[in-house]
Amino acid sequence: MLCLASACLAASGCTHAGAPAPPAGRFHFVNVAAASGIDRITWAGRPGKEHLLDSAGTGAAFLDYDRDGRLDVYLVNGWRLEASAPGAPAREGSRLAERGRHALYRGLPDGTFRDVTGEARVAGEGHWGSGVAVADYDADGWPDLLITGFGPNVLYRNRGDGTFENVAGRLGIEAPGWNTGAAFFDAEGDGDLDLYVASYIACTLDEVLAARATLDWKGLEKVALGPFGLKGAPDHYFRSEGGRRFVDATSEAGLQDRGLAYGFAVRAADFDDDGDLDLYVANDSDPNYLYRNEGNGTFREVGVWSGCALDANGAAQASMGVAIGDAAGDGALDIFTTNFSQDFSTFYRGLGGGFFDDASEETGIGPATFLPMSWGAAFADFDNDSDLDLVVASGHIYPQIDGHPEVLGTFRQRNLLLENRAGRFVDVTAEAGPGFEAVQSSRGLAVGDYDNDGDVDILITNLDAPPDLLRNERGNAGSWLEVACEIPGGAAIPIGTAVTVAAGGRTQRRDIASGDSYVSSHDPRPHFGLGDAATADTVDVRWPDGSHTVQRGVAARRLITMRKGS
Amino acid sequence: MTSARARRFTVGAALAAGILVSGAGDVRAQAGGMPAGTPPAMVATYESLADAILAVKNTEVNLVRAILGTGHAHAQVELDRARKAIKAGDAKGAQAALEGLAAVVGQLGTEGDSAVGAVRKRLLEGGHHHNAAGEVKGIYDEGFVVVTRAARQAFLDASKAIGLLARAPKGDALETEWKKVEATWASLMKGSV
Repeated sequence: MLCLASACLAASGCTHAGAPAPPAGRFHFVNVAAASGIDRITWAGRPGKEHLLDSAGTGAAFLDYDRDGRLDVYLVNGWRLEASAPGAPAREGSRLAERGRHALYRGLPDGTFRDVTGEARVAGEGHWGSGVAVADYDADGWPDLLITGFGPNVLYRNRGDGTFENVAGRLGIEAPGWNTGAAFFDAEGDGDLDLYVASYIACTLDEVLAARATLDWKGLEKVALGPFGLKGAPDHYFRSEGGRRFVDATSEAGLQDRGLAYGFAVRAADFDDDGDLDLYVANDSDPNYLYRNEGNGTFREVGVWSGCALDANGAAQASMGVAIGDAAGDGALDIFTTNFSQDFSTFYRGLGGGFFDDASEETGIGPATFLPMSWGAAFADFDNDSDLDLVVASGHIYPQIDGHPEVLGTFRQRNLLLENRAGRFVDVTAEAGPGFEAVQSSRGLAVGDYDNDGDVDILITNLDAPPDLLRNERGNAGSWLEVACEIPGGAAIPIGTAVTVAAGGRTQRRDIASGDSYVSSHDPRPHFGLGDAATADTVDVRWPDGSHTVQRGVAARRLITMRKGS
Repeated sequence: MTSARARRFTVGAALAAGILVSGAGDVRAQAGGMPAGTPPAMVATYESLADAILAVKNTEVNLVRAILGTGHAHAQVELDRARKAIKAGDAKGAQAALEGLAAVVGQLGTEGDSAVGAVRKRLLEGGHHHNAAGEVKGIYDEGFVVVTRAARQAFLDASKAIGLLARAPKGDALETEWKKVEATWASLMKGSV
């Protein structure tokens, strides 16, 4: 099957029509956010979205902060702005109406959630939030929360008693600005989690408040200016010194953002499969960066010549989010970037060794994603048929387009679900149930099996609205395996760990990351759809230090825990 | 706030103010019965300004060509290193040189590295499109001065091919790719691609 999939991708004549037709109705998602108790509205500036900060939205995370085996939910919130006074002229700008509170929802045994934000002390420090990355930065066994945003970063250290404390200032990672995507990863192989934070635009709050829609949109409307016309802000890299403090080592490590690119999404992964973690940064309207880890704590930017900085035409795209996975099933990690409307979101097929080519057209991903504006994304096996499907959060940034829906649709858009059929991605949104019928202007997206029923659910943030929690109601018809990885005495989440499962004649690989999608973080427990297989032949865990733990003949349809050294 | 940009703005503003003051004097003289029309001094000033603007545009071309020339020279150095390493059977040296070559050939395609890209972005932010007409016709990418879309694609393709070669260095394949680079470079310098 593995060979078949890759051969099919390589063959120009392989089409959807040639793939076996799947049974009907295998995808069925229902939005259970409100019924589950998740109702926090995530604010996004003013209704007219006159500044890009108004339309950038916020991220979400699945995590198990209390280590009870059930996933919890974290939502980052923005600010609500309104005109300075009722009826005041636009030139007087806007004023702050509400500082949105972030939200932590604790997962309960009955599948609902309880808002524990106040008692956990993670509502934010009054800043306009953007993204979230989950990691146990100090390796004390408890997952911590990094919150980026417009202002200083916040690092909520998990005290292990249900409460958190902000230690960003003490650790030296506040880096005030408009920070977006972030990723914790062990850049140096010393066991400490280092941190990369992308930044978008250099601007002040006064500029945000005074912003007006001045950019001409197709001669029809005035919309928010940017990102061209606004100055890019440099990204940051902080080297961890034993988790006790962080040092800005951006230049020293070769991670200097010389292009002052408009940075959004960050994902660390071993793209060249050499045993250390590289870094991919999705930039808006600038070439994306692939920083290759040189193995000595330094990086080299290789995006252009490795084939994942530009699209097939050599053009930089407006990249917002990212999804990473071996979607082609050939053993190499692929990269998917979400882009602006009327442009393909791009599928960079991994060729092995850290090289890529743009296979958006031949996989069907490009045409399927052309019209909407795309943000958060994830590869996951939603129907447990042993390949990776793709979910994409959609929504435009200009509410003004609602006056002209015939041009390219509306501000609120349907999210997309693309099914992987032997390497060809087919839009199955229309048959994916009521969860995919609603329209919102969506942004952050995280995936995880929050109800521990063996299929992957989806958490999506929306502008000026509560989030969607899309419960997967049919995915577990197929066999599955979930793998929680633990390092005794080590970090709660072993970031950089890769899990490979062989079952039913296929070999699948997942990795554990902190910071993904669009300013979001996924369930840290790798999930594998196994099709009809009742048993996994092998489960192989490659730990960050290169050692392996292997189990053979593992019964399916359950969550297993793999411990390093056992 | 004491950046070079701020200083340039100050000088430019002073120059503009001087022109306006001298022009206003001419207008007052005309009001005294001189023939209607733009005062000659203003026209002369505008002529000078036009010379400066056009000269700046030429300077931009020359500078970008110099940037590309530096990249091309760097590429030749890396090429020479790669050739020697391949000949000597030095796989590690060949890999390093080929990756270096791939990077600089890629920078020919993107008309400079990301730092140059940041300058280009700034010019676009200010509304400056060196090849505005060429952009509309699809010949140039936004803000590009010398490198056409066709040349960009050729350089990027070669860059990736050379990068892939770094995994398994081969002298003949390198020469094939380098010929493509040189052909594109020659055409670009002649203005025929």
